[in-house]
Amino acid sequence: MSLTDRIARGLEAGWKVTDGATLTHNQTHEADVVVIGTGAGGGTTAEILARAGLSVILVEEGRLYYQKDFKMNELDAYASLYQEGMSRVTKDGAIAVLQGRCVGGSTTVNWTSSFRTPDPTLNHWASRFGLDDLSPDAMRLWFDGREERHNIEPWVTDPNVNNDILRQGCEALGWSWEVIPRNVKGCWNLGYCGVGCPTNAKQGALTTTIPGALDNNARLFHGLRADKLVMKQDRIDHLQASAMAADGVTPSGITVELKAKHFVVAASAIGSPGLLLRSDIPDPHNRIGKRTFLHPVNATIAEMPDTVDPYYGAPQSIYSDEFNFSRGVDGPAGFKLEVPPLHPAMSAGVVPGHGEQQVSDLSKLPRMNSVIALLRDGFHPDSPGGTVSLRDDGSPVLDYPVTDYLWAGLKDAFYKMAEIQFAAGAKQVRLMHLDSPWYTTWADTKAGIDKLTMAPHRVRLFTAHQMGGCGMGNNPEESVVNGFGEHHQVTNLSIHDASVFPTSIGANPQLSVYALAARNSTRLAQKLRS
Amino acid sequence: MSETLPQSVQTEAPATAMDRRSFLRTGLGGALFLGTVSVTAGLSGCASAPAGRDYPMPEAMDQSYEFRFLTRDDIVLFKALLPAMVGPGLAEEQVVRRQQIQATIERIDAGIHQFGPANQKELRGLFDLLNFGLTRVTVARVWSSWENVSPETAHAFLERWRTSGIGLFNNGYIALTKVSNVAFYGHPDHWHLSGYPGPPGFAVDSLPQFKDNA
Ligand SMILES: Cc1cc2nc3c(=O)[nH]c(=O)nc-3n(C[C@H](O)[C@H](O)[C@H](O)COP(=O)(O)OP(=O)(O)OC[C@H]3O[C@@H](n4cnc5c(N)ncnc54)[C@H](O)[C@@H]3O)c2cc1C
Ligand code: SF4
Repeated sequence: MSLTDRIARGLEAGWKVTDGATLTHNQTHEADVVVIGTGAGGGTTAEILARAGLSVILVEEGRLYYQKDFKMNELDAYASLYQEGMSRVTKDGAIAVLQGRCVGGSTTVNWTSSFRTPDPTLNHWASRFGLDDLSPDAMRLWFDGREERHNIEPWVTDPNVNNDILRQGCEALGWSWEVIPRNVKGCWNLGYCGVGCPTNAKQGALTTTIPGALDNNARLFHGLRADKLVMKQDRIDHLQASAMAADGVTPSGITVELKAKHFVVAASAIGSPGLLLRSDIPDPHNRIGKRTFLHPVNATIAEMPDTVDPYYGAPQSIYSDEFNFSRGVDGPAGFKLEVPPLHPAMSAGVVPGHGEQQVSDLSKLPRMNSVIALLRDGFHPDSPGGTVSLRDDGSPVLDYPVTDYLWAGLKDAFYKMAEIQFAAGAKQVRLMHLDSPWYTTWADTKAGIDKLTMAPHRVRLFTAHQMGGCGMGNNPEESVVNGFGEHHQVTNLSIHDASVFPTSIGANPQLSVYALAARNSTRLAQKLRS
Repeated sequence: MSETLPQSVQTEAPATAMDRRSFLRTGLGGALFLGTVSVTAGLSGCASAPAGRDYPMPEAMDQSYEFRFLTRDDIVLFKALLPAMVGPGLAEEQVVRRQQIQATIERIDAGIHQFGPANQKELRGLFDLLNFGLTRVTVARVWSSWENVSPETAHAFLERWRTSGIGLFNNGYIALTKVSNVAFYGHPDHWHLSGYPGPPGFAVDSLPQFKDNA
């Protein structure tokens, strides 16, 4: 394989990268800072600290996969790049949780939509959680900086048909729509962002901040799971970690102890609160794992009269915020409307059914469009989010009860999505619900949704955006870290990932994670060097 | 609605249905129950060990796959379920059909291996419940052992769990269909069923990872 790939070249040039599966004896290492997790937050943190001259060790539970491995193959990708081999669900099984588990974290498999944190969200954080320092004005420079670092620009190529249907439907109904900014450089418009970008066009952590950190002498252990932060008096002394075998799921029995002056946890929502709970980190107000948010997603599919090819082309390029903040930041549940890419394995897992009906439904794939609604959870008292706890084996699990407030929002979203699809010329529409038939008119759909049972399992729910569980705020009684990601009780612990958000974002979260991690790492670097 | 079945099929087992329903009404009861079944099944000598290379597919041409999660009983279960699950998607020709079923079961096993211990435990509970005679009859309401279950009976079972008002059964339905559908429709051999042409040829032709020795 030619060495044009950034990772292949770096490895050749002697980057300090260790595959946990190759370790044969227990060992101890030391650095200024240990960063746990290599996704949006961990990558950003490691690069900024390493550039500032600090010695950094990165710890990643998943394995290192890069261009040579990205062959546009769904089954391999889901098994190797996603948490729990793509089988992660909430505690009662009602919400499928899509989350990355590899070097680059969820950014290696995400769909490249890149939004700034909406102003109403930042303003709500200021008034509700005392986070005045994160005002839109104060954050602007950090968004500017990260947009440059990740090459974020509105997508100038025409949207694929799947996205264009959302645009057409909104246009016909007089609803707003916009073009999505993406973090790509020289994108081939292929549509395989969710299984690892095969061209290196995606500017996620894997192709930007991770190489940046490794170029600056950081050391990366992958296939190494952070088990426990071990305290000595009131500070963390070291991280205890377990090496995983080459299959990525079985611990090999080898353990690694990592000592540092400071520890940055960036294992994301579910993962970070899980690590803190396993470590018995002081939590006087019982906040760890609470208020975990998901942007719960429901979906409709449509059979269009003409070819859609929903598996090809930039997966997300059009969105509508018509119903997102329009009824007030803390009014009825608002939602962002987008479309998902549809490849056969993903579609077979998302469209519920079996037998003849399933063969017939999936045979429509080339003419299929899907619209998804991402609910803005955590802004209203009746949307308190979910709670992370530990299973017997120490792994984290999220209990996320869907409240009546959210069911109302999900039902509302079913109406809006189906209406858009018919307005764009759909022949028939099916709700992703166990009871839904194909509806051939908007009037029938409307009547069907009126009677629909909104219940767990029957409504198919998904999440690709896990947030919260180590919420930030000024009041230690209701938060885990302050606005700089610094733990309220433990002085050498920071959290730099999506788990610090005190509500959901109300937009796809990666740029919010990048920007906040950049801001907080810049401050941390100054503190640690002085 | 196209998938609704005649009433007679849905109420195949009237006798004990109601008490089971009330027993399983709460999620907690259900969870405890599944746990008990796993233990009972283990104690009563149900094969709970992964089938390894020793599995009941005498017709298989290639015996090289080593099962790491599915037991011999689970394999029998999926052999009974897949014809209902992916139905007309399977080939008519018997040899090809058997190979498709075998390969799909192998992919289901490989997929579950990557799920990790926690979700494997959940699936173990579900599969044991379906395999253990007493619960197969009382909870799944499937009268004969899976070996002798026809595609029609398997379909009726799936329909009962899909249309049930009990979330636990809906959840079981989703778990069974998801692992099967992904393993079946996701594989290149069956892409033609969804009309998916595969990754764009121009990209495959020009990217280094698709070249020989990549
Ligand atoms: C399919 C998909 C599509 C998405 N699309 C978009 C999109 O288009 N736009 C957008 O803005 N967002 C998108 N997202 C979400 C976005 O990628 C995440 O919100 C973001 O990456 C979160 O950053 P993070 O640093 O919190 O966590 P991550 O980027 O997920 O990184 C966390 C890392 O920590 C590791 N880890 C966890 N536990 C441990 C442990 N115990 N020890 C060691 N390592 C551990 C994980 O393996 C993971 O690699 C998508 C996500 C998915 C899954
Ligand atoms: S559309 Fe294709 S080339 Fe572009 S970022 Fe996604 S996977 Fe990479």
